[in-house]
Amino acid sequence: MEIKKNVAFVGMFGSGKTELAINYAVMLARREEKVALADLDFVSPYFRSRDKKGFLEELGIKVLVPPGKYIWADTPMIPPEVFGFLTNKEFRTVLDVGGEEDGVVVLGYLRAFLKDTTTFFVVNTRRPFTDSVEGIVNFYRKLETRAKVKFDYLVVNTNLAHETTEEIIKEGEEIVESAAKELGVPVAFTVVPSFLADCDCKYEKFIIDRYLELPW
Amino acid sequence: MGEKIMVKGTEAIGEAAIRAGCRVYFGYPITPQSELTEYMARRMPQVGGVFLQAESEVATVNMMYGASSVGARVMTSTSSPGFSLMQEGISYMACARLPGVFVDVVRGGPGLGDIQPSQGDYFQIVKGGGHGDYRLPVFSPSSLQEAVELTIHAFDVADKYRTPVVIFADGMMGQMMEPVEFPDPIDPSTLPSKDDWALTGAKGRKARYVTSFDIDPYKLEKMNLVLQETYKEIEKNEQKWEEFMTDDIEVLFVAHGTVGRIVKSAVKLARQKGIKAGLFRPISLYPFPYKRLSELAEKVDIVMTVEMSSGQMLEDVRLAVEGKAETPFYGRLAGVVPTPGEILEALMKELRR
Repeated sequence: MEIKKNVAFVGMFGSGKTELAINYAVMLARREEKVALADLDFVSPYFRSRDKKGFLEELGIKVLVPPGKYIWADTPMIPPEVFGFLTNKEFRTVLDVGGEEDGVVVLGYLRAFLKDTTTFFVVNTRRPFTDSVEGIVNFYRKLETRAKVKFDYLVVNTNLAHETTEEIIKEGEEIVESAAKELGVPVAFTVVPSFLADCDCKYEKFIIDRYLELPW
Repeated sequence: MGEKIMVKGTEAIGEAAIRAGCRVYFGYPITPQSELTEYMARRMPQVGGVFLQAESEVATVNMMYGASSVGARVMTSTSSPGFSLMQEGISYMACARLPGVFVDVVRGGPGLGDIQPSQGDYFQIVKGGGHGDYRLPVFSPSSLQEAVELTIHAFDVADKYRTPVVIFADGMMGQMMEPVEFPDPIDPSTLPSKDDWALTGAKGRKARYVTSFDIDPYKLEKMNLVLQETYKEIEKNEQKWEEFMTDDIEVLFVAHGTVGRIVKSAVKLARQKGIKAGLFRPISLYPFPYKRLSELAEKVDIVMTVEMSSGQMLEDVRLAVEGKAETPFYGRLAGVVPTPGEILEALMKELRR
Protein backbone atom coordinates (compact mmCIF):
# COMPACT_ATOMS: atom_id res chain seq x y z
CA MET A 1 0.00 0.00 0.00
CA GLU A 2 1.41 3.34 -1.04
CA ILE A 3 0.29 6.27 1.09
CA LYS A 4 1.25 9.70 -0.15
CA LYS A 5 2.18 12.80 1.83
CA ASN A 6 -1.43 13.85 2.36
CA VAL A 7 -4.50 11.74 3.09
CA ALA A 8 -8.21 12.45 2.62
CA PHE A 9 -11.10 10.57 4.21
CA VAL A 10 -14.39 10.57 2.31
CA GLY A 11 -17.64 8.61 2.60
CA MET A 12 -21.27 8.71 3.59
CA PHE A 13 -22.70 10.55 6.65
CA GLY A 14 -21.62 8.85 9.84
CA SER A 15 -19.21 6.42 8.17
CA GLY A 16 -16.51 7.43 10.66
CA LYS A 17 -14.44 9.83 8.56
CA THR A 18 -13.89 12.36 11.32
CA GLU A 19 -12.93 9.80 13.96
CA LEU A 20 -10.48 8.26 11.48
CA ALA A 21 -9.03 11.61 10.44
CA ILE A 22 -8.41 12.53 14.08
CA ASN A 23 -6.83 9.14 14.84
CA TYR A 24 -4.69 9.31 11.71
CA ALA A 25 -3.42 12.78 12.58
CA VAL A 26 -2.69 11.67 16.16
CA MET A 27 -0.78 8.62 14.87
CA LEU A 28 1.38 10.79 12.60
CA ALA A 29 1.99 13.32 15.37
CA ARG A 30 3.13 10.55 17.72
CA ARG A 31 5.69 9.53 15.07
CA GLU A 32 6.95 13.07 15.43
CA GLU A 33 5.96 14.06 11.93
CA LYS A 34 4.72 17.58 11.21
CA VAL A 35 0.96 17.23 10.84
CA ALA A 36 -1.93 19.43 9.78
CA LEU A 37 -5.60 18.41 10.06
CA ALA A 38 -8.04 20.32 7.86
CA ASP A 39 -11.72 20.21 8.86
CA LEU A 40 -13.42 20.57 5.48
CA ASP A 41 -16.79 19.32 6.73
CA PHE A 42 -19.31 22.03 5.95
CA VAL A 43 -22.23 19.62 5.97
CA SER A 44 -22.46 18.35 9.56
CA PRO A 45 -23.50 20.85 12.21
CA TYR A 46 -22.12 18.85 15.21
CA PHE A 47 -19.45 16.24 15.96
CA ARG A 48 -16.71 17.67 13.76
CA SER A 49 -12.93 17.55 14.12
CA ARG A 50 -12.95 21.26 15.02
CA ASP A 51 -14.60 20.20 18.31
CA LYS A 52 -11.26 18.57 19.23
CA LYS A 53 -9.07 21.52 18.19
CA GLY A 54 -7.61 22.12 21.67
CA PHE A 55 -6.71 18.48 22.20
CA LEU A 56 -5.10 18.19 18.75
CA GLU A 57 -3.11 21.39 19.15
CA GLU A 58 -1.67 20.09 22.43
CA LEU A 59 -0.19 17.23 20.40
CA GLY A 60 1.43 19.77 18.09
CA ILE A 61 -1.06 19.25 15.26
CA LYS A 62 -1.90 22.30 13.18
CA VAL A 63 -5.72 22.37 13.00
CA LEU A 64 -7.22 24.19 10.02
CA VAL A 65 -10.76 25.42 10.67
CA PRO A 66 -12.88 28.41 9.64
CA PRO A 67 -11.87 31.57 11.51
CA GLY A 68 -13.33 32.68 14.87
CA LYS A 69 -17.04 32.29 15.44
CA TYR A 70 -17.51 30.69 12.03
CA ILE A 71 -16.56 27.32 13.50
CA TRP A 72 -20.23 27.22 14.60
CA ALA A 73 -21.59 27.77 11.09
CA ASP A 74 -22.66 25.20 8.52
CA THR A 75 -21.62 27.30 5.55
CA PRO A 76 -19.24 26.19 2.77
CA MET A 77 -16.11 27.80 4.18
CA ILE A 78 -12.68 26.38 3.33
CA PRO A 79 -9.78 27.49 5.50
CA PRO A 80 -7.45 29.24 3.00
CA GLU A 81 -4.27 27.77 4.56
CA VAL A 82 -5.30 24.35 3.23
CA PHE A 83 -3.78 25.06 -0.17
CA GLY A 84 -0.43 25.88 1.41
CA PHE A 85 -0.36 22.85 3.68
CA LEU A 86 -1.28 20.49 0.84
CA THR A 87 1.78 21.62 -1.13
CA ASN A 88 4.14 22.21 1.82
CA LYS A 89 6.62 19.32 1.65
CA GLU A 90 7.34 19.42 5.39
CA PHE A 91 3.76 18.77 6.47
CA ARG A 92 1.62 15.63 6.28
CA THR A 93 -1.91 16.99 5.84
CA VAL A 94 -5.05 15.06 6.78
CA LEU A 95 -8.31 16.14 5.12
CA ASP A 96 -11.56 15.48 6.99
CA VAL A 97 -14.15 15.82 4.23
CA GLY A 98 -17.93 16.21 4.76
CA GLY A 99 -20.31 13.35 4.04
CA GLU A 100 -22.16 12.24 0.91
CA GLU A 101 -22.44 13.98 -2.46
CA ASP A 102 -22.69 17.48 -1.01
CA GLY A 103 -19.74 17.08 1.33
CA VAL A 104 -17.33 15.58 -1.16
CA VAL A 105 -17.54 18.44 -3.71
CA VAL A 106 -14.78 20.20 -1.77
CA LEU A 107 -12.26 17.73 -3.25
CA GLY A 108 -13.14 18.90 -6.74
CA TYR A 109 -12.39 22.46 -5.66
CA LEU A 110 -8.99 21.40 -4.28
CA ARG A 111 -8.28 19.04 -7.21
CA ALA A 112 -5.26 20.91 -8.57
CA PHE A 113 -3.55 20.56 -5.17
CA LEU A 114 -4.26 16.87 -4.57
CA LYS A 115 -1.44 15.25 -6.61
CA ASP A 116 0.30 14.19 -3.43
CA THR A 117 -2.85 12.92 -1.69
CA THR A 118 -4.19 9.41 -1.05
CA THR A 119 -7.99 9.27 -0.78
CA PHE A 120 -9.77 6.69 1.38
CA PHE A 121 -13.46 5.85 0.99
CA VAL A 122 -14.60 4.86 4.48
CA VAL A 123 -17.38 2.29 4.83
CA ASN A 124 -19.40 1.18 7.83
CA THR A 125 -21.55 -1.70 6.61
CA ARG A 126 -23.79 -1.27 9.67
CA ARG A 127 -25.00 2.07 8.29
CA PRO A 128 -28.01 2.75 6.06
CA PHE A 129 -27.23 2.73 2.29
CA THR A 130 -23.79 1.02 2.57
CA ASP A 131 -24.94 -2.26 4.15
CA SER A 132 -24.59 -4.19 0.88
CA VAL A 133 -22.11 -4.58 -1.98
CA GLU A 134 -24.61 -2.90 -4.29
CA GLY A 135 -24.99 0.09 -1.96
CA ILE A 136 -21.24 0.57 -1.48
CA VAL A 137 -20.52 0.34 -5.22
CA ASN A 138 -23.36 2.74 -6.03
CA PHE A 139 -22.29 5.44 -3.56
CA TYR A 140 -18.57 4.98 -4.20
CA ARG A 141 -19.20 5.81 -7.85
CA LYS A 142 -21.64 8.63 -7.09
CA LEU A 143 -19.23 10.33 -4.69
CA GLU A 144 -16.28 9.85 -7.03
CA THR A 145 -18.23 11.52 -9.84
CA ARG A 146 -19.17 14.44 -7.59
CA ALA A 147 -15.62 14.78 -6.22
CA LYS A 148 -14.05 14.75 -9.70
CA VAL A 149 -11.16 12.88 -8.05
CA LYS A 150 -10.34 9.16 -8.18
CA PHE A 151 -10.43 7.49 -4.78
CA ASP A 152 -7.52 5.16 -4.03
CA TYR A 153 -8.68 2.73 -1.35
CA LEU A 154 -11.64 1.37 0.56
CA VAL A 155 -11.48 1.28 4.36
CA VAL A 156 -13.48 -1.18 6.45
CA ASN A 157 -14.93 0.75 9.38
CA THR A 158 -17.84 -1.51 10.28
CA ASN A 159 -18.80 -0.74 13.88
CA LEU A 160 -21.58 -0.28 16.41
CA ALA A 161 -19.56 2.04 18.66
CA HIS A 162 -19.18 0.34 22.07
CA GLU A 163 -21.20 -2.64 20.91
CA THR A 164 -18.71 -3.57 18.15
CA THR A 165 -17.58 -7.21 18.19
CA GLU A 166 -14.99 -9.21 16.25
CA GLU A 167 -17.84 -10.90 14.32
CA ILE A 168 -19.26 -7.53 13.25
CA ILE A 169 -15.85 -6.41 11.97
CA LYS A 170 -15.39 -9.67 10.05
CA GLU A 171 -18.85 -9.36 8.53
CA GLY A 172 -17.84 -5.85 7.34
CA GLU A 173 -14.59 -7.16 5.83
CA GLU A 174 -16.52 -9.74 3.80
CA ILE A 175 -18.93 -7.18 2.33
CA VAL A 176 -16.27 -4.55 1.61
CA GLU A 177 -14.00 -7.19 0.05
CA SER A 178 -16.73 -8.09 -2.47
CA ALA A 179 -17.38 -4.40 -3.19
CA ALA A 180 -13.63 -3.86 -3.66
CA LYS A 181 -13.52 -6.67 -6.25
CA GLU A 182 -16.43 -5.20 -8.15
CA LEU A 183 -14.91 -1.71 -8.11
CA GLY A 184 -11.38 -2.89 -8.81
CA VAL A 185 -10.15 -0.85 -5.86
CA PRO A 186 -8.00 -2.31 -3.05
CA VAL A 187 -8.91 -2.36 0.65
CA ALA A 188 -6.36 -0.34 2.63
CA PHE A 189 -7.07 -1.49 6.16
CA THR A 190 -9.69 -2.43 8.74
CA VAL A 191 -10.48 -0.05 11.57
CA VAL A 192 -10.48 -1.75 14.98
CA PRO A 193 -11.44 -0.09 18.27
CA SER A 194 -8.72 -0.28 20.92
CA PHE A 195 -10.88 -2.55 23.09
CA LEU A 196 -10.71 -5.20 20.32
CA ALA A 197 -7.04 -4.60 19.48
CA ASP A 198 -6.23 -8.33 19.53
CA CYS A 199 -8.97 -9.34 17.13
CA ASP A 200 -8.18 -11.42 14.11
CA CYS A 201 -8.62 -9.46 10.86
CA LYS A 202 -8.23 -10.19 7.17
CA TYR A 203 -6.69 -6.81 6.40
CA GLU A 204 -4.06 -4.73 8.15
CA LYS A 205 -5.46 -3.30 11.39
CA PHE A 206 -5.73 0.38 12.17
CA ILE A 207 -6.44 0.61 15.89
CA ILE A 208 -8.36 3.69 17.00
CA ASP A 209 -9.51 5.42 20.15
CA ARG A 210 -12.84 7.23 20.23
CA TYR A 211 -12.39 10.98 20.53
CA LEU A 212 -15.89 12.16 19.59
CA GLU A 213 -17.65 10.48 22.51
CA LEU A 214 -20.61 12.12 24.20
CA PRO A 215 -19.22 13.55 27.45
CA TRP A 216 -22.04 12.10 29.58
CA MET B 1 -36.50 -7.17 15.03
CA GLY B 2 -33.52 -7.09 12.69
CA GLU B 3 -29.82 -6.67 13.40
CA LYS B 4 -28.48 -3.52 15.01
CA ILE B 5 -27.20 -0.70 12.86
CA MET B 6 -25.52 2.65 13.59
CA VAL B 7 -27.82 5.58 12.95
CA LYS B 8 -28.08 9.30 13.47
CA GLY B 9 -31.16 10.46 15.34
CA THR B 10 -32.65 12.00 12.23
CA GLU B 11 -32.23 8.70 10.36
CA ALA B 12 -33.64 6.69 13.28
CA ILE B 13 -36.83 8.76 13.21
CA GLY B 14 -37.08 8.65 9.41
CA GLU B 15 -36.65 4.88 9.22
CA ALA B 16 -39.07 4.35 12.12
CA ALA B 17 -41.70 6.36 10.24
CA ILE B 18 -41.28 4.18 7.17
CA ARG B 19 -41.55 1.04 9.32
CA ALA B 20 -44.72 2.52 10.85
CA GLY B 21 -46.24 2.53 7.36
CA CYS B 22 -45.70 6.21 6.56
CA ARG B 23 -45.49 6.57 2.79
CA VAL B 24 -45.96 10.32 2.43
CA TYR B 25 -43.35 12.83 3.57
CA PHE B 26 -43.19 16.55 2.92
CA GLY B 27 -40.23 18.60 4.06
CA TYR B 28 -38.09 21.65 3.78
CA PRO B 29 -34.41 21.65 4.80
CA ILE B 30 -33.24 23.38 7.97
CA THR B 31 -30.27 22.60 10.23
CA PRO B 32 -30.06 20.48 12.42
CA GLN B 33 -32.74 18.27 10.86
CA SER B 34 -31.84 18.34 7.15
CA GLU B 35 -30.54 14.75 7.24
CA LEU B 36 -34.09 13.57 8.01
CA THR B 37 -35.36 15.22 4.84
CA GLU B 38 -32.39 13.78 2.91
CA TYR B 39 -33.00 10.33 4.37
CA MET B 40 -36.62 10.41 3.27
CA ALA B 41 -35.60 11.62 -0.20
CA ARG B 42 -33.48 8.48 -0.58
CA ARG B 43 -35.79 6.02 1.19
CA MET B 44 -39.31 6.94 0.02
CA PRO B 45 -38.70 5.95 -3.64
CA GLN B 46 -37.28 2.60 -2.42
CA VAL B 47 -40.56 1.75 -0.63
CA GLY B 48 -42.90 3.20 -3.26
CA GLY B 49 -43.68 6.25 -1.15
CA VAL B 50 -43.90 9.96 -1.86
CA PHE B 51 -41.14 12.41 -0.97
CA LEU B 52 -41.84 16.00 -1.80
CA GLN B 53 -39.68 18.99 -0.95
CA ALA B 54 -42.08 21.86 -0.46
CA GLU B 55 -41.31 25.48 -1.26
CA SER B 56 -41.63 26.48 2.41
CA GLU B 57 -42.78 25.22 5.79
CA VAL B 58 -46.12 26.97 5.25
CA ALA B 59 -46.63 24.86 2.14
CA THR B 60 -45.43 21.73 3.96
CA VAL B 61 -48.07 21.89 6.67
CA ASN B 62 -50.84 22.47 4.14
CA MET B 63 -49.63 19.48 2.12
CA MET B 64 -49.83 17.50 5.39
CA TYR B 65 -53.44 18.68 5.78
CA GLY B 66 -54.30 17.56 2.26
CA ALA B 67 -52.65 14.15 2.35
CA SER B 68 -53.98 13.39 5.83
CA SER B 69 -57.54 14.26 4.83
CA VAL B 70 -57.51 11.44 2.27
CA GLY B 71 -56.28 8.98 4.90
CA ALA B 72 -52.49 8.77 4.42
CA ARG B 73 -49.98 8.37 7.25
CA VAL B 74 -48.05 11.61 6.81
CA MET B 75 -44.96 13.13 8.37
CA THR B 76 -42.82 16.23 8.18
CA SER B 77 -39.76 17.34 10.09
CA THR B 78 -38.31 20.75 10.77
CA SER B 79 -36.42 22.81 13.30
CA SER B 80 -37.55 25.71 15.48
CA PRO B 81 -38.07 28.63 13.04
CA GLY B 82 -39.61 26.21 10.53
CA PHE B 83 -41.99 24.90 13.19
CA SER B 84 -43.07 28.48 13.91
CA LEU B 85 -44.07 28.84 10.27
CA MET B 86 -46.25 25.72 10.50
CA GLN B 87 -48.39 26.86 13.43
CA GLU B 88 -51.43 28.13 11.53
CA GLY B 89 -51.71 24.88 9.60
CA ILE B 90 -51.23 22.75 12.72
CA SER B 91 -54.12 24.55 14.41
CA TYR B 92 -56.24 23.89 11.29
CA MET B 93 -55.29 20.21 11.36
CA ALA B 94 -56.11 19.95 15.07
CA CYS B 95 -59.58 21.43 14.52
CA ALA B 96 -60.22 19.34 11.42
CA ARG B 97 -59.12 16.29 13.44
CA LEU B 98 -56.41 15.28 10.99
CA PRO B 99 -53.66 12.89 12.13
CA GLY B 100 -50.04 13.60 11.21
CA VAL B 101 -46.61 13.40 12.80
CA PHE B 102 -44.42 16.51 13.16
CA VAL B 103 -40.77 16.19 14.16
CA ASP B 104 -39.22 19.32 15.66
CA VAL B 105 -35.44 19.05 16.05
CA VAL B 106 -35.16 22.07 18.32
CA ARG B 107 -32.24 24.51 18.03
CA GLY B 108 -31.12 27.62 19.88
CA GLY B 109 -33.39 30.64 19.70
CA PRO B 110 -35.27 32.93 19.79
CA GLY B 111 -35.21 34.43 16.30
CA LEU B 112 -32.81 32.97 13.81
CA GLY B 113 -30.87 31.78 16.88
CA ASP B 114 -28.15 29.23 16.14
CA ILE B 115 -27.90 25.58 15.09
CA GLN B 116 -26.94 24.07 18.46
CA PRO B 117 -29.31 21.87 20.56
CA SER B 118 -32.00 23.49 22.71
CA GLN B 119 -35.27 22.82 24.52
CA GLY B 120 -36.35 26.45 24.42
CA ASP B 121 -39.44 25.70 22.33
CA TYR B 122 -41.24 23.80 25.10
CA PHE B 123 -43.99 26.42 25.46
CA GLN B 124 -44.53 26.52 21.71
CA ILE B 125 -44.62 22.77 21.20
CA VAL B 126 -46.35 21.66 24.39
CA LYS B 127 -48.72 24.54 25.09
CA GLY B 128 -49.66 25.17 21.46
CA GLY B 129 -47.95 27.65 19.18
CA GLY B 130 -51.04 28.15 17.07
CA HIS B 131 -54.41 29.75 17.81
CA GLY B 132 -57.46 28.30 19.50
CA ASP B 133 -58.36 25.64 22.09
CA TYR B 134 -56.29 22.71 20.95
CA ARG B 135 -53.60 20.45 22.38
CA LEU B 136 -51.03 18.19 20.71
CA PRO B 137 -49.64 14.97 22.15
CA VAL B 138 -45.86 15.49 22.44
CA PHE B 139 -43.21 12.82 22.98
CA SER B 140 -39.59 13.56 23.96
CA PRO B 141 -37.04 10.76 23.40
CA SER B 142 -33.83 10.44 25.38
CA SER B 143 -32.07 7.76 23.29
CA LEU B 144 -32.23 6.81 19.65
CA GLN B 145 -33.82 3.43 20.42
CA GLU B 146 -36.54 5.33 22.25
CA ALA B 147 -36.84 7.75 19.32
CA VAL B 148 -37.64 4.77 17.09
CA GLU B 149 -40.28 3.44 19.48
CA LEU B 150 -41.87 6.85 20.06
CA THR B 151 -42.04 7.66 16.35
CA ILE B 152 -43.98 4.48 15.66
CA HIS B 153 -46.14 5.15 18.72
CA ALA B 154 -46.76 8.73 17.52
CA PHE B 155 -48.40 7.46 14.32
CA ASP B 156 -50.67 5.16 16.31
CA VAL B 157 -51.67 7.93 18.72
CA ALA B 158 -52.26 10.33 15.81
CA ASP B 159 -54.59 7.86 14.09
CA LYS B 160 -56.35 6.69 17.25
CA TYR B 161 -57.34 10.19 18.40
CA ARG B 162 -57.27 11.85 14.98
CA THR B 163 -54.80 14.52 16.02
CA PRO B 164 -51.42 15.89 14.96
CA VAL B 165 -48.62 14.59 17.23
CA VAL B 166 -45.14 16.07 17.80
CA ILE B 167 -41.80 14.36 18.37
CA PHE B 168 -39.79 16.88 20.40
CA ALA B 169 -36.16 16.09 19.61
CA ASP B 170 -33.56 18.61 20.66
CA GLY B 171 -30.66 19.07 18.22
CA MET B 172 -28.50 16.56 20.07
CA MET B 173 -31.13 13.82 19.63
CA GLY B 174 -31.15 14.65 15.93
CA GLN B 175 -27.39 14.59 15.40
CA MET B 176 -25.97 11.98 17.77
CA MET B 177 -25.24 8.43 16.61
CA GLU B 178 -26.07 5.19 18.42
CA PRO B 179 -26.63 1.52 17.62
CA VAL B 180 -30.35 0.89 17.15
CA GLU B 181 -32.55 -2.11 16.41
CA PHE B 182 -35.61 -1.51 14.24
CA PRO B 183 -38.83 -3.52 14.49
CA ASP B 184 -40.13 -5.31 11.40
CA PRO B 185 -41.95 -2.96 9.02
CA ILE B 186 -45.73 -2.67 9.13
CA ASP B 187 -47.46 -3.30 5.81
CA PRO B 188 -49.41 -0.04 5.24
CA SER B 189 -52.32 -2.02 3.78
CA THR B 190 -52.87 -3.70 7.18
CA LEU B 191 -53.35 -0.41 9.09
CA PRO B 192 -56.81 0.29 10.55
CA SER B 193 -59.18 1.76 7.97
CA LYS B 194 -59.98 5.48 7.99
CA ASP B 195 -62.97 5.01 5.68
CA ASP B 196 -65.37 6.28 8.34
CA TRP B 197 -64.04 9.84 8.07
CA ALA B 198 -61.39 10.23 5.34
CA LEU B 199 -62.14 11.72 1.93
CA THR B 200 -62.04 8.50 -0.04
CA GLY B 201 -64.53 9.43 -2.79
CA ALA B 202 -68.31 9.80 -2.32
CA LYS B 203 -69.33 7.13 -4.82
CA GLY B 204 -72.12 5.08 -3.22
CA ARG B 205 -72.27 7.18 -0.05
CA LYS B 206 -73.15 10.67 1.09
CA ALA B 207 -70.47 13.30 0.43
CA ARG B 208 -68.49 14.45 3.47
CA TYR B 209 -66.01 17.20 4.09
CA VAL B 210 -63.04 17.85 6.35
CA THR B 211 -62.88 21.38 7.68
CA SER B 212 -61.77 23.51 10.61
CA PHE B 213 -64.54 26.03 10.03
CA ASP B 214 -68.15 26.64 11.01
CA ILE B 215 -69.71 30.09 10.75
CA ASP B 216 -72.36 29.07 13.33
CA PRO B 217 -70.79 29.52 16.80
CA TYR B 218 -73.04 26.86 18.36
CA LYS B 219 -71.92 24.30 15.80
CA LEU B 220 -68.29 25.39 16.16
CA GLU B 221 -68.63 25.01 19.92
CA LYS B 222 -69.80 21.42 19.35
CA MET B 223 -66.71 20.76 17.24
CA ASN B 224 -64.62 22.22 20.06
CA LEU B 225 -66.30 20.01 22.64
CA VAL B 226 -65.42 16.92 20.61
CA LEU B 227 -61.80 18.05 20.74
CA GLN B 228 -61.98 18.60 24.49
CA GLU B 229 -63.44 15.12 25.02
CA THR B 230 -60.57 13.71 22.95
CA TYR B 231 -58.01 15.53 25.09
CA LYS B 232 -59.57 14.07 28.24
CA GLU B 233 -59.09 10.61 26.78
CA ILE B 234 -55.51 11.40 25.79
CA GLU B 235 -54.74 12.69 29.29
CA LYS B 236 -56.21 9.50 30.77
CA ASN B 237 -54.45 7.02 28.46
CA GLU B 238 -51.26 8.44 27.00
CA GLN B 239 -49.01 9.53 29.87
CA LYS B 240 -45.46 8.19 29.67
CA TRP B 241 -42.46 8.69 31.91
CA GLU B 242 -39.30 7.01 33.22
CA GLU B 243 -38.12 6.86 36.82
CA PHE B 244 -34.40 6.45 37.47
CA MET B 245 -33.14 5.51 40.98
CA THR B 246 -36.24 6.91 42.67
CA ASP B 247 -36.80 4.12 45.25
CA ASP B 248 -34.98 5.82 48.13
CA ILE B 249 -34.85 9.45 46.99
CA GLU B 250 -34.01 12.47 49.13
CA VAL B 251 -33.87 14.83 46.14
CA LEU B 252 -35.52 14.51 42.77
CA PHE B 253 -34.44 15.85 39.40
CA VAL B 254 -36.91 16.38 36.55
CA ALA B 255 -35.55 16.57 33.00
CA HIS B 256 -36.61 15.43 29.53
CA GLY B 257 -34.90 14.46 26.27
CA THR B 258 -31.11 14.80 26.05
CA VAL B 259 -31.04 16.57 29.41
CA GLY B 260 -32.77 13.55 30.97
CA ARG B 261 -29.82 11.51 29.82
CA ILE B 262 -27.25 13.98 31.14
CA VAL B 263 -29.03 14.15 34.51
CA LYS B 264 -28.71 10.37 34.86
CA SER B 265 -24.95 10.93 35.02
CA ALA B 266 -25.50 13.74 37.53
CA VAL B 267 -27.63 11.38 39.67
CA LYS B 268 -24.78 8.85 39.71
CA LEU B 269 -22.27 11.58 40.68
CA ALA B 270 -24.59 12.75 43.48
CA ARG B 271 -24.92 9.19 44.79
CA GLN B 272 -21.11 8.86 44.89
CA LYS B 273 -21.23 11.82 47.29
CA GLY B 274 -23.86 10.07 49.39
CA ILE B 275 -26.79 12.20 48.17
CA LYS B 276 -29.76 10.00 47.36
CA ALA B 277 -30.78 11.63 44.09
CA GLY B 278 -33.17 10.30 41.48
CA LEU B 279 -34.63 11.36 38.15
CA PHE B 280 -38.19 11.70 36.90
CA ARG B 281 -38.13 11.93 33.11
CA PRO B 282 -41.41 12.89 31.45
CA ILE B 283 -41.62 11.19 28.04
CA SER B 284 -45.06 12.54 27.14
CA LEU B 285 -44.84 16.31 27.67
CA TYR B 286 -48.50 16.58 26.80
CA PRO B 287 -50.14 14.82 28.53
CA PHE B 288 -47.70 15.77 31.30
CA PRO B 289 -47.52 13.06 34.00
CA TYR B 290 -48.65 15.39 36.82
CA LYS B 291 -50.06 12.72 39.10
CA ARG B 292 -46.99 10.50 39.32
CA LEU B 293 -44.67 13.48 39.78
CA SER B 294 -46.96 14.76 42.53
CA GLU B 295 -46.67 11.40 44.35
CA LEU B 296 -42.87 11.45 44.13
CA ALA B 297 -42.72 15.07 45.30
CA GLU B 298 -44.18 13.97 48.64
CA LYS B 299 -41.02 11.99 49.40
CA VAL B 300 -38.53 14.86 48.98
CA ASP B 301 -37.79 18.45 49.97
CA ILE B 302 -36.25 19.45 46.65
CA VAL B 303 -37.54 18.82 43.12
CA MET B 304 -34.95 20.34 40.81
CA THR B 305 -35.79 20.91 37.13
CA VAL B 306 -32.99 20.98 34.55
CA GLU B 307 -33.58 22.13 30.99
CA MET B 308 -31.83 23.59 27.97
CA SER B 309 -34.15 26.58 28.38
CA SER B 310 -34.84 29.38 30.86
CA GLY B 311 -37.33 27.20 32.76
CA GLN B 312 -40.36 26.30 30.68
CA MET B 313 -41.18 22.73 31.68
CA LEU B 314 -40.55 24.10 35.19
CA GLU B 315 -44.10 25.53 35.13
CA ASP B 316 -45.56 22.05 34.65
CA VAL B 317 -43.30 20.68 37.38
CA ARG B 318 -44.59 23.36 39.77
CA LEU B 319 -48.20 22.52 38.85
CA ALA B 320 -47.46 18.90 39.79
CA VAL B 321 -45.50 19.62 42.97
CA GLU B 322 -48.09 22.14 44.28
CA GLY B 323 -45.72 23.59 46.88
CA LYS B 324 -44.98 20.24 48.53
CA ALA B 325 -41.24 20.73 47.89
CA GLU B 326 -38.83 23.45 46.86
CA THR B 327 -38.63 23.68 43.06
CA PRO B 328 -35.29 25.19 42.04
CA PHE B 329 -34.14 25.32 38.44
CA TYR B 330 -30.91 24.95 36.48
CA GLY B 331 -30.73 25.69 32.78
CA ARG B 332 -28.44 26.62 29.92
CA LEU B 333 -29.66 28.69 26.99
CA ALA B 334 -29.11 29.26 23.29
CA GLY B 335 -27.63 25.89 22.43
CA VAL B 336 -25.25 25.38 25.36
CA VAL B 337 -25.48 21.81 26.71
CA PRO B 338 -25.16 21.47 30.51
CA THR B 339 -22.65 18.98 31.94
CA PRO B 340 -23.31 16.50 34.77
CA GLY B 341 -20.72 18.36 36.92
CA GLU B 342 -22.51 21.69 36.47
CA ILE B 343 -25.84 20.11 37.38
CA LEU B 344 -24.41 18.51 40.51
CA GLU B 345 -22.89 21.84 41.54
CA ALA B 346 -26.27 23.55 41.11
CA LEU B 347 -27.86 20.89 43.32
CA MET B 348 -25.13 21.25 45.99
CA LYS B 349 -25.82 24.99 46.10
CA GLU B 350 -29.50 24.30 46.80
CA LEU B 351 -28.64 21.77 49.51
CA ARG B 352 -26.40 24.32 51.29
CA ARG B 353 -29.17 26.91 51.41
